Amino acid sequence: MPTGRVCFRVALGSSFRQRGNTVLLFKMQFMLLFSRQGKLRLQKWYVPLSDKEKKKITRELVQTVLARKPKMCSFLEWRDLKVVYKRYASLYFCCAIEDQDNELITLEIIHRYVELLDKYFGSVCELDIIFNFEKAYFILDEFLLGGEAQETSKKNVLKAIEQADLLQENIDFQMRLFAGCQRSRDTAQRTGGNWTDINVVHIIIHLPHTSFICQLLYVADNNSNSPLSTLNFTVTHTQLCLCFLPVF
Amino acid sequence: MSDVVEKTLTALPSLLSLDSQPGSTKLSSTSKLGTLIRGITELTSKHEEEKLIQRELTSIKEQVSSPNTSMRQMKELMVRAIYCEMLGYEAAFSYIHAIKLAQQGTALEKRVGYLAVSLFLNESHELLLLLVNTVLKDLQSTNLIEVCMALTVVSQIFPKDMIPAILPLVEEKLNHPKEIIRRKAVLALYKFYLIAPNQVQHIHNKFRKALCDKDPGVMTASLHIYLQMIQENPEGYKDLTASFVTIMKQVVGGKLPMDFNYHSVPAPWLQIQLLRILSLLGKNDQSTSEIMYEVLDESLRRAEMNHNITYAILYECVKCIYTIHPKSELLEKAAKCIGNFVLSPKINLKYLGLKALTYVVQQDPKLALQHQMTIIECLDHPDLIIKRETLELLFRITNAQNVTVIVEKMLEFLRINKDDYTTIDLVGKVAELAEKYP
Repeated sequence: MPTGRVCFRVALGSSFRQRGNTVLLFKMQFMLLFSRQGKLRLQKWYVPLSDKEKKKITRELVQTVLARKPKMCSFLEWRDLKVVYKRYASLYFCCAIEDQDNELITLEIIHRYVELLDKYFGSVCELDIIFNFEKAYFILDEFLLGGEAQETSKKNVLKAIEQADLLQENIDFQMRLFAGCQRSRDTAQRTGGNWTDINVVHIIIHLPHTSFICQLLYVADNNSNSPLSTLNFTVTHTQLCLCFLPVF
Repeated sequence: MSDVVEKTLTALPSLLSLDSQPGSTKLSSTSKLGTLIRGITELTSKHEEEKLIQRELTSIKEQVSSPNTSMRQMKELMVRAIYCEMLGYEAAFSYIHAIKLAQQGTALEKRVGYLAVSLFLNESHELLLLLVNTVLKDLQSTNLIEVCMALTVVSQIFPKDMIPAILPLVEEKLNHPKEIIRRKAVLALYKFYLIAPNQVQHIHNKFRKALCDKDPGVMTASLHIYLQMIQENPEGYKDLTASFVTIMKQVVGGKLPMDFNYHSVPAPWLQIQLLRILSLLGKNDQSTSEIMYEVLDESLRRAEMNHNITYAILYECVKCIYTIHPKSELLEKAAKCIGNFVLSPKINLKYLGLKALTYVVQQDPKLALQHQMTIIECLDHPDLIIKRETLELLFRITNAQNVTVIVEKMLEFLRINKDDYTTIDLVGKVAELAEKYP
């Protein structure tokens, strides 16, 4: 502990906390996710700091949070920051905010982020975040821009991510089409042929974890029972509808 | 449905060999990132981990510098580089490739490129200037997703000197038909306002338009800017008080679309922003405060449910009520609220209650007396944080009678405390008390 005279001067200087009635902005300084063994899973910094400082802060903070017992307060005062943390299964979510802020609201921001991850990954677990951490970052960026929580509905956040995901799902697949007769009256009307001889293939594909489906209507030659052809195509952010009806 | 159709439909996924699991975990078993991560978790010592990562980094370095790497492979390499940086190992060679990836890649590759840039670089990095061109191009693209990505990266990290180059493009996005773009444009302008306020002076009327935007998301985004501007100059915005009060009434009354609800509380973060703005506007100003009393009363009443978020809103309400020109009924209700917090068994609420008391006690010392038994209990609470907060509170209600007791308690705390910052803080307080009451 420093000698009396020195720390007296320091205390009256900068670190003496003011508790006035000032209203400061909510500004998150950084967010860290780490496991119970102290392994970092995600880090997002909203203030400019050198790499060395970041590493130091991470190391110290991880140790401090891991040392907390389960029944303790979710809020820590650490250096001149307030740290809000919560543990979800095996992951600690840790946010540092400026001293004056409403800590409960930060706790709820963490919770909202977890809810978003849960909805996106479907019952999220630590492994999902580890192996798909860039997606966790995308969701975080959509929700917290520059350290401020955007009050967008959960639906909007996830929709934005899904749309971008869809862009990259270049699906190459092959399908075997089996000929058959389609007794669909309206299809016959549309294609204008003899409806007992028409073979129609209508395929629906639902892209994983998105709300987009693809459809394709393919009218084949009639009267062959072997696999007709293999369709190779790449689907990129289009909304064609495919619906498969195998028939006799 | 006939069973043939059923059989076909069940066989369809395997026919098409599509992975139907959510979260696209199909990458994990074959990707190089997966192998790397698994490799690390199997190792036992830090030294071995270092060796493995260095090997990985050298291999990444070779691959990124080779001219034959496709953008798709580059994306994968970037993800691994981000992972290594996260673990603390430097991968500075990959920064320039991240920018290249953002420039040349398509959709997801661009996205990973931008992500890598926002994680690797900081505001004063010299490579940041190279990003400006890419961002300019993407902002003018017809593909909305690219525009979104560009706006996101602009809001996170952008060199101050290049703001004039990009400002007109961002401004015109404020009128875009899609609300997500308008919202991101507002946030980008907010960021510009934070780092270079004089550049953004001329578009204040556009912010007003954003405030009245029909989409609640855009309106919320504009509140960030308003909060900042009002903090610097409350007088200039008193005329907007009525609009803020109207918005607050609508939110509390449940007029927003359902999906802004968070656990059946309508738009809590929006409410809190509004409460902060209102408290800034109403401070020391009776006429403005009078406009707000009704809506504050309403929010206090509505937030009765038992969830963390309602407590957060209540806390903010209480703070607001004590900041603006006082009104006795509201003060009473707020005092009761604080009482509930302090007496609550939930430890987080106790903390918040104590914190609220420290605000309140200067204006209303009777309240602290009312709860003094609880406060004394908190002094001996096993959690150090609560203890500190209690000491903070006691510091404010020190008078000539109880000063010795309080200082003794503080000294006792100092003996068990190990954190340097809190020690300095407390010692400063003790010193001040010593000066005041010799």
